[in-house]
Amino acid sequence: MSVEFHGVVKRYGAATAVAGITFTVESGTLVTLLGPSGCGKTTTLRMIAGLELPSEGRIVIAGRDVTTLGATQRDVSMVFQSYALFPHMNVLENVCYGLRRSGQSRDDAAKSAREGLLQVGLASYEERQPSELSGGQQQRVAVARALVLKPSVLLFDEPLSNLDARLRRQMREEIRELQQRLGLTVVYVTHDQQEAMAVSDRIIVMNAGRIEQQGSPRDLYERPATPFLARFMGESNPARGTVRRLDPTQVRVRLGDVEIDVANATATDGDAMVAIRPEAIAVERPGDAPGDFSADLLAGTIAKASYLGTHMEYSIDTEAGTLFATCPRVERPLAAGDAVALRLAPRGVIVVES
Amino acid sequence: MISRAPLAWSVAGLLAALALPWYALQEGLDSGAWFSGLWSSEDYASGLAQIVAHGKWWLAPVLSALVACIVAALVPTTRQRRGTLLLLAGTAGLVLFVAQALGIGLRGWTAGWLTTLFGELDGRQVGLGAGGAVALVALLSLLSIGLALRGAFGGDAFVAGAVTTVAASIVLFTAWPILRILVQAFQDGDGVLAPALLVERLATEKIWSLRCLSGGGRCGVAWNTLFLALGCGAGTTALGLAFALIVMRTSFGFKKTLRVLTVLPIVTPPFVIGLALILVFGRSGLVNQFLEWSMGIEPTRWIYGFHGVFLAQLFAFTPVAFLVLIGVVEGVSPTLEEASQTLRADRWSTFTTVSLPLMRPGLANAFLVGFIESIADFGNPIVLGGDYGVLSTEIYFAVVGAQLDYGRAASLALLLLVFALGAFFLQRRIVGSGSYATISGKGDSGLPTPLPDAARRAAACVALPWAAFTLLLYGFAFVGGLVKVWGRDYTPTLDHYAKAFAVEHTADGLIWTGAAWNSFWTTVKLAAIAAPLTAALGLIAAWLLVRQRFAGRATLEFATMLSFAVPGTVIGVAYVFAFNVPPIEITGTAMIIVLCFIFRNMPVGVRAGMAAMSQIDRSLDEASITLRGRAPQTLFYVVLPLLRPAIVGALVYGFVRAVTTVSAVVFLVTAEYELATTYIILRVINGDYGLAIAYSCALIVLMLAVILLIQFAVGERRLGRRAVALTGGPA
Repeated sequence: MSVEFHGVVKRYGAATAVAGITFTVESGTLVTLLGPSGCGKTTTLRMIAGLELPSEGRIVIAGRDVTTLGATQRDVSMVFQSYALFPHMNVLENVCYGLRRSGQSRDDAAKSAREGLLQVGLASYEERQPSELSGGQQQRVAVARALVLKPSVLLFDEPLSNLDARLRRQMREEIRELQQRLGLTVVYVTHDQQEAMAVSDRIIVMNAGRIEQQGSPRDLYERPATPFLARFMGESNPARGTVRRLDPTQVRVRLGDVEIDVANATATDGDAMVAIRPEAIAVERPGDAPGDFSADLLAGTIAKASYLGTHMEYSIDTEAGTLFATCPRVERPLAAGDAVALRLAPRGVIVVES
Repeated sequence: MISRAPLAWSVAGLLAALALPWYALQEGLDSGAWFSGLWSSEDYASGLAQIVAHGKWWLAPVLSALVACIVAALVPTTRQRRGTLLLLAGTAGLVLFVAQALGIGLRGWTAGWLTTLFGELDGRQVGLGAGGAVALVALLSLLSIGLALRGAFGGDAFVAGAVTTVAASIVLFTAWPILRILVQAFQDGDGVLAPALLVERLATEKIWSLRCLSGGGRCGVAWNTLFLALGCGAGTTALGLAFALIVMRTSFGFKKTLRVLTVLPIVTPPFVIGLALILVFGRSGLVNQFLEWSMGIEPTRWIYGFHGVFLAQLFAFTPVAFLVLIGVVEGVSPTLEEASQTLRADRWSTFTTVSLPLMRPGLANAFLVGFIESIADFGNPIVLGGDYGVLSTEIYFAVVGAQLDYGRAASLALLLLVFALGAFFLQRRIVGSGSYATISGKGDSGLPTPLPDAARRAAACVALPWAAFTLLLYGFAFVGGLVKVWGRDYTPTLDHYAKAFAVEHTADGLIWTGAAWNSFWTTVKLAAIAAPLTAALGLIAAWLLVRQRFAGRATLEFATMLSFAVPGTVIGVAYVFAFNVPPIEITGTAMIIVLCFIFRNMPVGVRAGMAAMSQIDRSLDEASITLRGRAPQTLFYVVLPLLRPAIVGALVYGFVRAVTTVSAVVFLVTAEYELATTYIILRVINGDYGLAIAYSCALIVLMLAVILLIQFAVGERRLGRRAVALTGGPA
């Protein structure tokens, strides 16, 4: 049950929330709309749901043009950020609600609802009021309520944002497991890049109402197409360098005094914006480095050092600018003022704009 | 589903045009006599018969539009195109309907230029009847279904229909009458436009004289109205603030009792306070009698005039200001006051430099509410005004008195409307621009700072005696109905009640012989019809305004609020002008009174509904919609159950205001449909205070009973064990 957007625009008066986007969500996959707040991802999700109708363009769900259909007439259901459990109904009544509105008899609805609650592991909670459940349990009820309608597409609007960090990991694994077990088509909205990478088959990154890039989590992390993406997908250090093409698949990037050969098929010769991943910077004491300040090492001075338990974080002043680096070696930390040599791993040096 | 709806509506419209009398009947539909004359009689004929047999060709395009809608509903085509077809046919039908209804009246063309343009018309039409009304509703519905099919209103036909219904009814029963009064003000007695006449009517000594200031003679009614309103606004705001501060910021022990004060004016007919003042200060009132007895001072008519009306309005409207200001004082964030105190400000300077400035917009609001209440008040000035005329009473005498000068009434009403709207816009500007949003979504953990001692003492000195005196007045009003003749013979008696509410048991069963029964039952019946309609319309409008996004939403909200600001007297006169000629000819019927109740009181239902609905998270509605609940189901299963308190409020208010209102309906009542309040006013004017008071007390008891009944019938909102989860989850 695929979802297709064709040149969809959404305007509110003079403001444009979504500025002409086209994408396809394949049947049986989990696709995440990712982006900073105000990028239009929630508006896009609500247009899939039919809670907003597009100002321009076409929306096709499961082969049917639904552009002008309201939410009730679409075969889509949604899990809300606030869960939106009806406070005047108990758990079973909440899960039955959609089935009853679809015309099922009371008994049939209750039967399907119980199966749904079983799927999310809340079988013994049917008589509870929503206010008597924990956040995670409310979340599961909301999922069960959407699931029992067997929709073509299931939508999640920032479903984990009201949960604490530990529960968040557990719930996102549960959602992913449920999606794969039942082969659901899911569109998921979040602003959390890690969460998106953990649950998605594909990610669509949005910015300022447009699609910035789409692809698999690995694609986006390792081959961000724009400086925005390099910043937004994980952390990265922006730096200026020069690019020279070696062969169709490789370029040589010059940063300060160092040169690194990087896999790249598109960049052209000349000045370029380069993003350096913090985990790709190996921080070494000058004495430890073999070859002592050789051509592939970048010299620098530690400006700030913080201890984070699992790793160290350093800010390092170099000729290519101040770089932020993480270092798993916590037993012999460096201190501010120490001179260091930086080795850059080629897979963490990304030419984003030339 | 959706393609069946347009078919049903167009068939319904056509059936109405075929099988119901198109025009209004003198005797009403229920007699059944119309059935045999559906084709042959010109009075009873259906729409089709009017065209074919009675030469009313101008109805033909309207019926054709309905036929076109049937075609549009049946032809196989896309959603979008069907929508366009329905929209076109519906709009065309509606425009033609309105054009013929306005253009052709009792004596052919209604305007001279139409006659010049098309020549004499051989035909006439009376007011709209059942057939025409149903056809009109059908056309409106088809138009809105067309809009929904084209994707407007979120593609939801119910929402589209609701918006058009609310908008059309506001246009018809609020905007149109007010427009009529504007036109009337510019016309002479024969309906010819004469703008100079307005100036002539308004530019008189009687309205604008300022002689009372220079010492001799009386001021004009316009100034009288303004002086009174300014005084009332200032007085009620000061008193209301004192009450609010005592209740919110001191440890005063009888807060509950003070809160009861806010309920009293809602269940009290507006002139009861005036009556009670007469009992105390009137010529044969307690004070005058005491002075005469102790010091031999001749009783005076001091209370009749500015003093009396001013006092009565202060008593009557202070609770309203109190109600407004409780919210304002509550809204001042305690954290800001605590911040001020940590910045070395003592309690007094915190109060004067932080708390009071934060309340300023609220105080302005309370002042203007008092101002508007005062200029709209009719009951107190008519009871206590004496020679001190104000605009609302002048309008009354222009219409019902010997003058019978509609043009003058319309001109005065226009002036009153200008005053009211001026105050209304001023209020919107002040409150709109200067509002400090001190109630944030975040929890405020601060503790309210107690009032500084000086302010507390001042508030207590003003408010508590005033509260006591208010209760005393109500006490007198109650006792006044239980003595023979106030001021002369204080023998306890039930005579007044007996005279009003006697019931005789005879062989033929019960006979309601009391003088008040007729108006009493009429009032109860009409109020009971109006209350649920008021609540329904108000809550649906609120739901649309809060929950739906559509073009013209802001305009619709403004229109519902506007009728708030229009004084009842103006509405009453406007209804008389607008609805005593075709196309809507309902003056003298019960229907016009019910309509007046509904559209007078709906704005409060809208406000209450909007306030309640904005506390319910929007995602609850959206969850229901994505769970296959269509708009009406969402409204019924999710929104309304969560809105029970607002429903109770709207029903109670709709009923109680219908029972207590005077100013608007005083122009609409007839001998057949006499209402309790107008009956009482007439008794007061005749000096029959005992009966008037007894009747008023009975009304208060009735309303308290109804409030309890409604509360019981609608029931409590069921929210599990805690009533905090309205947001649909922990935020």
